[in-house]
Amino acid sequence: MADMADEAAAAVSEPLDLVRLSLDEIVFVRLRGDRELKGRLHAYDSHCNLVLGEVEETIYTIEDEDDGDETVKTTKKQSDMLFVRGTLSHPTVLASDSNDR
Amino acid sequence: MSFFGFDTTLPRDKAGGANSKGFFEHANPFNEVAKARKLQAFQDNQEEVLDFEDTYDGLGDQLQEAGDDFNDDTFGGGAEGSNDRGGVGKDFDFFGSTAQVSTAIEEEAMRYNLQYPSRETAPPQSRKPKKTGYEKYQDPGYIPEIEAKSGAWSHKPSTHSPGQPSQPEDIHVSTSRHTAPAPEAPQPGTKMMSLEEVEAALLAQAQAHARAQAAQAPQPPYPQPQVFPFPVDHMHPPQPYQPGPPPMPFNQQHAPPPPRSASPRRHNRMPSQPSHPSQTSQLRPAQQPLQILQNPNRARHSPQPSVDRVQGLPPYGPAQAGAAPGITHPQQLLDLSEAQRRAYLEEDAKRAKRNHKIFLLSKGNGLMTPQDKNFITRIQLQQLVTATGTSADPNPEASLNEDFYYQVYSQIRGAPRQHPTQPLGHFAQTYLFQTGIRGGGRRQHANGDNHMQRMQQQVQRAVEAAKLKPKNKQLIIEGSLGKISFSNAKTPKPLLNIKRQDSSDARPASGRKEVSPSDRKTILKNIEAVYTTLMRLEDHERQSPPPPTEGDADSIQAHLDWRQKLQELNTALWQELKVLDPIVPGSSIPHPFIAFLSFAKGKKAMPRIFRLIDQEQRLTILTMIVVHLDQLDVTKDARPAAGDSQPTLAVREEIELFSQTVMPCLLQYVNEAPINIVIGLLGLLVERTSIAVVAMTKIGLGMMTMLLTRAELSKESGVVSDQEWQQWTALYNRLFDTLEPLLGLLFPGPVNSGDDIYIWQFLATIGIGASPDQQQRLVIGVKDRVMETVQQSKTLPPEMASVRLGNVNLFMRAIGLDVEMLG
Repeated sequence: MADMADEAAAAVSEPLDLVRLSLDEIVFVRLRGDRELKGRLHAYDSHCNLVLGEVEETIYTIEDEDDGDETVKTTKKQSDMLFVRGTLSHPTVLASDSNDR
Repeated sequence: MSFFGFDTTLPRDKAGGANSKGFFEHANPFNEVAKARKLQAFQDNQEEVLDFEDTYDGLGDQLQEAGDDFNDDTFGGGAEGSNDRGGVGKDFDFFGSTAQVSTAIEEEAMRYNLQYPSRETAPPQSRKPKKTGYEKYQDPGYIPEIEAKSGAWSHKPSTHSPGQPSQPEDIHVSTSRHTAPAPEAPQPGTKMMSLEEVEAALLAQAQAHARAQAAQAPQPPYPQPQVFPFPVDHMHPPQPYQPGPPPMPFNQQHAPPPPRSASPRRHNRMPSQPSHPSQTSQLRPAQQPLQILQNPNRARHSPQPSVDRVQGLPPYGPAQAGAAPGITHPQQLLDLSEAQRRAYLEEDAKRAKRNHKIFLLSKGNGLMTPQDKNFITRIQLQQLVTATGTSADPNPEASLNEDFYYQVYSQIRGAPRQHPTQPLGHFAQTYLFQTGIRGGGRRQHANGDNHMQRMQQQVQRAVEAAKLKPKNKQLIIEGSLGKISFSNAKTPKPLLNIKRQDSSDARPASGRKEVSPSDRKTILKNIEAVYTTLMRLEDHERQSPPPPTEGDADSIQAHLDWRQKLQELNTALWQELKVLDPIVPGSSIPHPFIAFLSFAKGKKAMPRIFRLIDQEQRLTILTMIVVHLDQLDVTKDARPAAGDSQPTLAVREEIELFSQTVMPCLLQYVNEAPINIVIGLLGLLVERTSIAVVAMTKIGLGMMTMLLTRAELSKESGVVSDQEWQQWTALYNRLFDTLEPLLGLLFPGPVNSGDDIYIWQFLATIGIGASPDQQQRLVIGVKDRVMETVQQSKTLPPEMASVRLGNVNLFMRAIGLDVEMLG
């Protein structure tokens, strides 16, 4: 047990190792520009470039209506595969439960 | 004695001379001797060359100046003396006293005045400017200090030596007469005369002064009158020099000192008037003891604190009183012997020096207010206390002892160190008390008293408070700014009152590790670890050296190394899979390996893992899966929620994934497994798992189908022994009995749901191995479903109908029937 635990701990020696744990899992990624992604994480690198599969992209836009109210409009897109450049991703890369799907 | 003689003739000399300085202040008695010799030599030379008259003239001028000073002092003894007291204090006291006591001197002065009235007037002028320097001393506060330093000690000894036991007068006379014995005789007579007359005049003036200066000095009038008698005559001329109107300034100057010496003068004077008031004044300071013995009047004076002060300055007084008359008149010098002259000149020079010194010292007068002095006194007090405190206790707190405030603080607080505290308090009290008295005595200022008393009272109060105050129940840490009450420190107020339970205490620590395998993150870490090792293993496999050739040691060695490394990696992988972790029956925590399989990537890893592990390991994995078949996510979660025809999409995906990844591995192994293993697996499945759950799932049914199929195939292959077959049959019967009530429930959804081929396959497999009786029961169990499917197929398009009928036919044919027969 101890050895295994150590090895398991060794598997997480740097921050991105936590991302590694989310490989092949459904992850939630918040991007700049009020965009959110939810998809299966296929790959990542040290820049936090991501390759996501079966992605659902949600875009939040604020639209001014005639009566002056501002409403948040959400637009959703589906993509089989997405490459997300690391510079686009917000600090929050959340692994979401696979049950979310 | 010679000094006394000079003194009488030259009051200044006395003041500046050895007498005034006293033993301590005497810079060097021999110096004076040397000076005297020099003067003698000089005079001798002069005598040879010069006529006496010339010499006299020159000396006369000088003497006149000096004499003027003396005159002023002497005459002013009453008037100026008081003024001087204001500045010089003691000197004036002396003058005043001298005026009272030294009747002889006055007489001399009178005589000289009568003889040389003009000369007398002149000299005072020269002297006065010098005195102006003293005027600064007018403030009584300043004088006492200076007096105390210079005068007090010095005078007594000097005066004592000259003093004679018989009478004060005699003493003075004797001293004065040494220098100028002649004048004495006439003086008494004249003085008696003059005193009465002068007194009247002086009283008038004194009263005027008293009125003016009443505030400053209540008693001034008395001393003045005494001095005035003679002085009046002499003094009046000098007055013009003073800035203010002649009489007033004198009075003012004299006024302050009188309070101290005034009372003594009176006493002396009253009785001594007949004798010599001036002498008494002179003697007082220095000869107090003698006087006390000799004169009852003087005894009164002695008790007064002012006497000491007066003594300090008196040197001028007596000297002046005695010498003034002689000096004022140049003829006096002529009368004097050469030695006396020299001595006089010497002393005059000394006195001038001294005056200059005093003047220099007095420059700073008035810079400090009484308050300032009090502050300094306090500081000195602190230092004193500190010094004693430090020396008293050499304990580690010595450094703190240097802080006066700490001392007081510790007293107030009742410091732990009570030993040092006590003496310190005592010391502080006594010292303060003494100081207070001193201040009160010396300075009659109310301020000084107040401050000192205040200090004293404060300290006393602090000490008393410290004694009365019970020891604090609070913790005061040294150097801390605040207090910490024990209640807080020892029994801090509990913000949360939670009782710890030992059992629950221990659990979290050790429990975590137990729980950890199940927690998502840990499982993910395990999976990653497995993948890491798996990839290394695969990489290592790719790097396998060429098959070893015989005779090539290197190749063989390389191959051995490779094999060893491979084995190491395999072992690591096996450990990371945690397949052999102990199985905890009934535990809600899934086995690590089962948890591993619950993740898609775990499932995906199985084919790769199976390829790299040996048969035993595969069997172990298979066994683990079979044993936990009802705990796999693909079976546990496979039951569709109420109202749904099938499980959720995620579960379906997992099931599909499991079917595509794990099942083939297992099937591959099972297809090659001997019957005994199949029997064992089925036995585990029947005994360890809930058939009711397993049977309801695609994976469960698939697993059973796999095992049953393998058993049939083994049997058909003829490898199976009768004994094994009997075991199998018994197991089969048991399984069938368990399944029979569930047959109708195997189909998850209605007939039109479609995906039920795996069920028909299972039923077919069951049917193959079933006995005719079992087949009968089997048909009965699924008859409804068969009929529904056949009916439904008729409504479906031909292709779909054929598919569905084909599925049903799998089962039908397994039991020797055909859908055609139903149609």
